[in-house]
Amino acid sequence: MQVIAPAGTARGAPAIAAAAPTGRFGLERILLGLGVALLLLLVGYPLLWLLLGALGLPQSIGLEHLARAFTRPQNYAALVNTLELALGTGLMSVAIGVPLAWATARSDMPLRQLVHVLVALSYITPPYLTALAYIILFGPDAGQFNRLLRALFGLTSGPINVFSMSGVIFVIGIHVFAFTYFLTYTALKAVDASLEESAQMLGAKRWQTVLRINLPLVAPAITGGTLLSAIDSLALFGPQAIIGTPAQIVFLPTRIYATIGSYPPRWGEASALSLLLVALTVAGLALQRGYLEQRSYVTVGGRGVRTRRLEHGLWRWPLTGFCLSVVFFSAVAPIGVLTLTAFSNSWIEPLSASNITLAHFQAALFTDQVSVRGIINSFKLATAAAAVAVALGAIVAYLDLRTTLWGRRLLDYLAILPLGLPGTVMAVGILLAFIRFPLPIYGTIWILLAAYVARFVPLATRSANASFRQIDPALEEAGRITGASWWLTMRRVLFPLARPGLLVAFLLVFIPAFSELSATILLYAGGTETIAIAIYRLNDLGQLEVVSALAVFTIGVVLSLALLVNWLSGSSWASGETPIRG
Amino acid sequence: MPIARRSMIKGVVASCAVTLLRRQAKAQAAGPEDAAQIDLEKAKAEGKVVLYTSLDTQIVDAINAPFTQKYGIAVQYFRGGSSDVTSKVLAEADAGRPQADVVDASDLAALLLMKERKLLKPFKSAAAAAVASNLRDPDSTWITDRLTQAVIQYNSKELGSAPPKTWADLGKAALNGRLVYFSSANGDGAPRIYTLAKHLGWDVVKAMAATKPLRVQTPQIITQVLERGERIAGFLQNDNIAWRSKRQGKPTDYLFPAEGVPTEIGACGLLASSPRPHAAALYHEWWMGPEGQALLVKGGKYSSRTDVAPPEGSTPLSELKLLMLDYAEYKRDKTKILDQIADIFGGEWGN
Repeated sequence: MQVIAPAGTARGAPAIAAAAPTGRFGLERILLGLGVALLLLLVGYPLLWLLLGALGLPQSIGLEHLARAFTRPQNYAALVNTLELALGTGLMSVAIGVPLAWATARSDMPLRQLVHVLVALSYITPPYLTALAYIILFGPDAGQFNRLLRALFGLTSGPINVFSMSGVIFVIGIHVFAFTYFLTYTALKAVDASLEESAQMLGAKRWQTVLRINLPLVAPAITGGTLLSAIDSLALFGPQAIIGTPAQIVFLPTRIYATIGSYPPRWGEASALSLLLVALTVAGLALQRGYLEQRSYVTVGGRGVRTRRLEHGLWRWPLTGFCLSVVFFSAVAPIGVLTLTAFSNSWIEPLSASNITLAHFQAALFTDQVSVRGIINSFKLATAAAAVAVALGAIVAYLDLRTTLWGRRLLDYLAILPLGLPGTVMAVGILLAFIRFPLPIYGTIWILLAAYVARFVPLATRSANASFRQIDPALEEAGRITGASWWLTMRRVLFPLARPGLLVAFLLVFIPAFSELSATILLYAGGTETIAIAIYRLNDLGQLEVVSALAVFTIGVVLSLALLVNWLSGSSWASGETPIRG
Repeated sequence: MPIARRSMIKGVVASCAVTLLRRQAKAQAAGPEDAAQIDLEKAKAEGKVVLYTSLDTQIVDAINAPFTQKYGIAVQYFRGGSSDVTSKVLAEADAGRPQADVVDASDLAALLLMKERKLLKPFKSAAAAAVASNLRDPDSTWITDRLTQAVIQYNSKELGSAPPKTWADLGKAALNGRLVYFSSANGDGAPRIYTLAKHLGWDVVKAMAATKPLRVQTPQIITQVLERGERIAGFLQNDNIAWRSKRQGKPTDYLFPAEGVPTEIGACGLLASSPRPHAAALYHEWWMGPEGQALLVKGGKYSSRTDVAPPEGSTPLSELKLLMLDYAEYKRDKTKILDQIADIFGGEWGN
């Protein structure tokens, strides 16, 4: 499973001997050393502070914060709700992800390409925007769907209330089910048709083939996807806050936010709760990896796989209906309603010629102070974070693949670790680490850059690793043998060859950094607002039309870049190389 | 691995050097101690002023525009709930990285806490003469800028003829599932709930909570929910938001219950660590002066200045029974009070 497996587990090319020393202060050593130091500073140091903070440092030292975190009823409720959310979204991801994957991977259903693309679209849409859309759609009484249902059935109040636990599970579920979908899809595509044919020749009925051949083969992918969906749902601060707060439901990330956001901030309790969230995530990931390792039925050899589409006859039509309604709710309806709202004078009025306006786009993109600043900051931050993360990722990958230095595996692990850490947790660690000596950058834009690099460096590392691995070290050796310096070899041989891969790595960091919310909300200050903050704050003030315009803009940017990634890497969405977000 | 160790040492040395330089640069000039000492040229030279406020952005924008026009000094502001504003000020103080010059919050307890932590700078405002002595700090670190009354706002189409007139009316079973109120996850709605409970008893509050009211993040969203008819009445709504909605011709109205109206004291002050002390003092005097306060009133707020009239068409405060909060007590018992409110209403209160 690519999404979380550290790149250091399965080595392809054996590491070649470290290049001949070029003097104690050679450029190679300085560059690599700087990369290592930066990674330790941005990932290791904040994690250390999370532990210190939970012990009450720097004010005091003791176990009272940990004790308090685990004994207060509010925190207990947050833990129970968070587990319920994870369980609910996990089950939901199986219920819709698996049938959809079957339909697009193996059936002769019409429109299967469209369904596949729309699942990808729902995945790249930042989930807090989906949450906002669902308030417009299913707000208890005034939501568009509820008004429709009220008008149709003559009800006095809307029958569906998004502000509930099932509302939160639904809104997060239609985002995270993509994990289960993509993993199952890939696994189904890898099942060789000859296995199914053998079963049928031996007299198995089709349902028996599915149950006895296909299901066992794809079960690890389904379980892995389900666990990943559940783990991702734990971390999604945005929808938890936007829907959970009005619903009076507290989750661990929103609880952590409130312990720091109310005054005076309670750092110790926030750190202790963060550790609890880390423990949940780590347990989930360990379970997922352990399960995958035990139950991997490898059927794929080196040769290509021949898959067969099964004919479903009349069953195609209910299947199509189901698939279309899933992607309608996960992508079409939320993005559609945000677009309609962005162009309406008032979202509550029906769309008509007199109700169409561009004023909200004007406000979002040109006049609103916070919004305009947010757009500029997000572009700057995402660009800088992507550049730094790619440089770091390239260094880690280089050390890992091209040298035999001691500790390189550990470094690789450190560079992959943040992938499993919720944004809220990273933010608490970074806040505690960089609020004081020796690097007090809290309150400046640098702390956001640090957070984005730390959060998204795994995406760059994995990408760089994959890209370097495709390049034969012999090419670099040839460069060195003919007398080129290390740096010249890098510049003339490795970088040009790795450029397309590194560009993909850049975009893979840029996309989630551009719309990051869960860490930003704890770290921004006046003047360093980002797009996500503008959206969150304007929503607080009830300016839903301007929020929608900003949302449409954000989705537009993210979607264009995602298409670019797809085109550059020449792979389908199913590669698993999908950006994470929170 | 000698290389990494070596460059790590280098990095640490470099970052220490940067920090020391920053620390030196941060030693601030004290700036003026009273309004008469404000040096206009120095203020202009500082170029901008940074305000942290919990006031509605529409009013903040209205106050800032003429200030910038008059003095050529840009106003950059951070707007959030009172808790957001306060926790940012405290965190930045912890970091030794003050960003704000002027702070304003609708929760006096927040300013009392900042004063206790020595974050506020004593400054004798010219506005002191126009503000009642119980509404300003004897040590001049804060001064009340506005008074926000918590009202009942309702949809006039649904309840036009017979709106609920008292807080007790709102606790009746007929309003089950029809009410709305606000609080951020950080408990910004708590002071007014506590004020009501303190004066009228917790039973009134518990009865309202028993109707299962919809909770929204901010007063601005209460009014939207009512305008859309999603809920029919809102409790403890900001008077200025209710006033604005009614004046804009939206189908809402509001009233001040006869049992008494919780009043929230919003106050402002200068930060001791202000990076731009002259511009800050100048802005403070604009904000508190007759012109700034008139703009505040135009946005529907009641000014703390006795020489500024209440918002057009509003009941003068002297005709209302105002329920006040002992903010020192609230600051002291905050965790306990929030626990109590969270027990009654459920959800997140930042406790």
